Amino acid sequence: MTTFENFRAEAEPPEYSVGRRMIGLARRSGTATIGLAVVVVFGVVALIAPLIIPYDPVAIFTDRLLQPPSATHWFGTDGNGMDVFSRVLYAARYAFGVAVPAVTISVLIGVPLGLLTGYRGGMFDEVTVRFMDSLRVFPLIVLALAVVAATGQSLLNVILIIGILDSPVFVRLVRAEVLQLRSSTFVEAAVATGNPVRRILFVHLLLNSTKGAMAQVAVRAAWAVRIMATLAFFGVGIEAPTPEWGSMIRQGAEYMATGQWWVGVFPGVALILLVLGFNMMGDGLQDLFDPRRRAEKR
Amino acid sequence: MKFLKLTSLFATTAMVGILVAAGGATPVAAQGKTLIIGAVFTPESLDGDINLPGTQNTVVQTYEGITRYGRKKNAQGEEILDSAVIEPHLAESWTTSADGKLVTFKLRRGVKGPSGNEMNADDWVWSWDKSFAQKRTGNFIARVSNVTTSGGGVEKVDDYTVNFHLDGPSSILLKALTLYTPSIYDSKITKDQATAEDPFATKWILKNTAGFGPYHMSELKPGEQAVFTENPNYFGKKPFFDRVVFRMVPSGASRLTLLRAGQIHIAENMTAQQLNELKKDKNVTVRVFPGRSVAAVRMNSKIKPFDDVRVRQAFNFATNKQTIIDTVFLGEGEPARSFVADFIDGGLMGSEPYPYDPVKAKALLADAGYPNGLDVELNYSDINAWEEPMAIQLQNILKESGINVTPKRITGSDMRARSHIKVQDIPFFTYEDGPIVLDAVYAAYLIAHGTGGVSNRTNLSVPRINELIDLARVELDPDKARSMMDELQKIWVEEAPWILTTFTPVGEAYSPKLKGFVSYPDNHERWSDLRLEE
Amino acid sequence: MNVSRFLVRRLLLVVPLLVFITFFTFMLTRLGGGDAAALISGPNSTAAELDMIRAELGLDEPLLTQFWIYISSAVQGDLGVSWVNKRPVLTDLIERLPITLELLFWGVGLGALIGIPVGLRAARDHNQRFDQVVRFFSLLGFSIPTYFLGLVMILVFFYFLGWSPPAMGRISLMITPPPAVTNSYLIDGLIAARWEVVQSAFSQLILPVIAMAIIAAAPIIKQTRAIAMDVLSSEYVRTSEASGLSRRVIQSIVARNSMTPIITFIGTELTALIGTASVLEFIFAWGGMGQYGLQAIIQGDFSAVQGYVLALALFSVIVFVVIDLVVVLIEPRADMSA
Repeated sequence: MTTFENFRAEAEPPEYSVGRRMIGLARRSGTATIGLAVVVVFGVVALIAPLIIPYDPVAIFTDRLLQPPSATHWFGTDGNGMDVFSRVLYAARYAFGVAVPAVTISVLIGVPLGLLTGYRGGMFDEVTVRFMDSLRVFPLIVLALAVVAATGQSLLNVILIIGILDSPVFVRLVRAEVLQLRSSTFVEAAVATGNPVRRILFVHLLLNSTKGAMAQVAVRAAWAVRIMATLAFFGVGIEAPTPEWGSMIRQGAEYMATGQWWVGVFPGVALILLVLGFNMMGDGLQDLFDPRRRAEKR
Repeated sequence: MKFLKLTSLFATTAMVGILVAAGGATPVAAQGKTLIIGAVFTPESLDGDINLPGTQNTVVQTYEGITRYGRKKNAQGEEILDSAVIEPHLAESWTTSADGKLVTFKLRRGVKGPSGNEMNADDWVWSWDKSFAQKRTGNFIARVSNVTTSGGGVEKVDDYTVNFHLDGPSSILLKALTLYTPSIYDSKITKDQATAEDPFATKWILKNTAGFGPYHMSELKPGEQAVFTENPNYFGKKPFFDRVVFRMVPSGASRLTLLRAGQIHIAENMTAQQLNELKKDKNVTVRVFPGRSVAAVRMNSKIKPFDDVRVRQAFNFATNKQTIIDTVFLGEGEPARSFVADFIDGGLMGSEPYPYDPVKAKALLADAGYPNGLDVELNYSDINAWEEPMAIQLQNILKESGINVTPKRITGSDMRARSHIKVQDIPFFTYEDGPIVLDAVYAAYLIAHGTGGVSNRTNLSVPRINELIDLARVELDPDKARSMMDELQKIWVEEAPWILTTFTPVGEAYSPKLKGFVSYPDNHERWSDLRLEE
Repeated sequence: MNVSRFLVRRLLLVVPLLVFITFFTFMLTRLGGGDAAALISGPNSTAAELDMIRAELGLDEPLLTQFWIYISSAVQGDLGVSWVNKRPVLTDLIERLPITLELLFWGVGLGALIGIPVGLRAARDHNQRFDQVVRFFSLLGFSIPTYFLGLVMILVFFYFLGWSPPAMGRISLMITPPPAVTNSYLIDGLIAARWEVVQSAFSQLILPVIAMAIIAAAPIIKQTRAIAMDVLSSEYVRTSEASGLSRRVIQSIVARNSMTPIITFIGTELTALIGTASVLEFIFAWGGMGQYGLQAIIQGDFSAVQGYVLALALFSVIVFVVIDLVVVLIEPRADMSA
């Protein structure tokens, strides 16, 4: 092979089948696999929720307010007479329904922006980086709360704002990778052989710099689910009686002191599990893709 | 590294140890004569005319009325107010002219504030002038009692005599004078605080007290607590508690646990659910009274689709009041028949005006041009605990009649602002307010009057209702007044500006050692009545 | 380059950051397209008050003029007045800041006290049992919502076990607070030599501090571990190991070299952690800046919201500058041209 073809080969990922890659993944990171399994379970529940839940999540049973867990209502009923189990399961749809678009927005904004600034450099880079760095002085939770409260509370707003506020992470990540790769030999070679700039960016850089970003996707998804629940807990963004874990905890908080713990604890546990699942996925993937860590097996 | 580990281990053990040792509450009784109240808000205003969260609860303790209700004992031997008897309080006596348009009051002597200043006619005149200038609650009360509000309504004769000039005879005046507003201020103090832009010292009054009542505010930490100490020069009976801590505990669940733990004496604003729970607890006394304000869901008569009375009536037929009572208020209370509560003299009697009837509701809607039902947005806020559950239950119930309700939460301040008499732009919303005077005519003027009704909030203006209210205000013959009230309530019910649900039961939860409670129409106990008994 | 020149340069760079932060918080009231005057003076305001606010803030003027007005009043200490309690926002923030700082200090301190040694040990034993357990708990710490943790702790330790006092503030209602010197009941109680104040303040602090520590420990453990692993695999350490230095000496080398990046990291984490502290304040009715700010957001008290967000940002900026300074002071080899 010519030198050039060697470089090209280096740039393309090896062609293993999906199955083999999965097994490789599982072997190399138990954490990521467990995390993935949890997320998949929740995802499946979210998809088929309307089919498997015993009751309509907003159906009111006026004669059964605040019942403890029983055979007819596995997680009990809440203060309005709604079945907690059905609501907890159905709320998974909102979790994914917000997290997936929000993270997608973050990626769609962050990755291209990171590529551009990393590659272009110069004034544009300076300004963008400074701008993003400046945003870091605001705690994300407070910022999200303040902005959603100010701009009016709709689900769409919530998704957009979470998506936008989380994009700097991707910008930084991709940019860092790009800066590293920019000076690597294969890019120089690509340039030298006359590849157009756009091709360089989107073929070579994209493939190589986004591995780290992929691991972040899971972590950002965890954050998105968490932030949405926090917003709902403070009464921002989600309307009653929508089943959403954060707003269920909000109602449950008042009942915790009178001993009706099930209203708040079950949605809380579900929330923790899903967020943990995403975090484990992210952690495992980060471990895999960080070359320094990989070289570390002692 | 070892050092760090040891330190952390030590720190943790120490902490757990101290936690166990320090945990547990010191019972309240051991601590002297301080009353501790778990409140929802520290008073955001101490000005009776600017009624913000926490205002009424505290202002009634520092500013008393010119008159007061008499007292008697009920069947259980407890002391209650006798609304038929009006006694002099800050006044010593009064005489009314033959045409009823002039009432002359003789001030009580020796009424002193904590600073030692004695109350005189200048104080009365200044205080009423302040309310006239502010044109808020005090002014409303003056108007509803027929006191001249255009100038010179309250006039000093000499240091201890004051004339009240009325536009017409009033059956309400003496009852209205039991109220905390217009508050009687120690004008020697307040005049010192006045400025050119603020001639009535409203800025200072907002955050301080200067009255002649049994307590005055000695400390205010907004968002944390307000402390009241007894007025050493109070002319009445010396209260048991020399100090009252009005502590802000925003979470109802926390107030409940604090009460249970014996860390507070009174827990404000418990929800029906919490009261239910507390009833089972021997360490807590719970009393529930029938309410005097409707937990109303209001419809604005000028905004579509509610501009059609058939739609408003349809909404009433579409609501199962008993279900609401059972779910939102846990079975406490009866369906309301009018905006005046049963136990107030002059309330409308008879059967429930709008029994649950989805068929009739649908028919009325079809009549009004909505044969396939309609979609509406219901605004609710966090002002009252019943609002959100009400919205959710209504959504569920109304859909049987083809009405699609979308609950939408707005902030409490938004709710107050938009439903204000000068704005009134919310089509469909939850709101609770009711008369603080136990009088049907007062209630009618407050709620049903087209131009004067500050609690109207729904653009209701029916000429015949306004007319009847204006007549009743000057009618001294109780029978004639009664028949006017009956007629106007019937018309009002026909007009159906509200979904008439039920009167919010008033629940109080307090330590069983606390005695002396007397129930007041404004639902606030008077601290000066209370005492602790072991 | 000496330290004072570095400091001056650093501070100069901070100025545009401050301008940006102020602009951002200024925009908060103009974001939704609503009437900024109404947001600031509140819904109970009269028409006269609205006009006054409009004139004061120049709301009919171009945006830059408005921004100039905002900045110039902020610099003079006028952050507006909260329409909820009618007090100047700056006064409220200043009173409450030390209260939040107390919770932050103890919570992060405890979190670091536990987290750093654990992280170091996990790095040393990495991929073994201890490390795996630690990583799991660290991830768990990342996954528990702050408010939920607080609520559950109250439920378990107060309601079920009765071990801790009710969550209603920093001191028992029965006790008169000591004269305010630092605004920390714990310290002021010590100064005034009143044991019951110290005891009560301490027992009120326990639950929120532990909750704060749990949340803070998660990122601290993760980052300590990562940093320590980096150091472990560095040439310096490898050489030391190869030349036969004892394990204990290696460990202390690793610890010492990891300290600076760890402390830097904790400094950057403080931004997020003050957000966490705010949520905990809300749950525990703590009365600090966080509770004030969150309550303001919920009620739509926008002057207070702006002041609160600005205060948080300023706090972070100060922390960043201090961290940079500390790094420069304790590590002379650090690159000061950044």
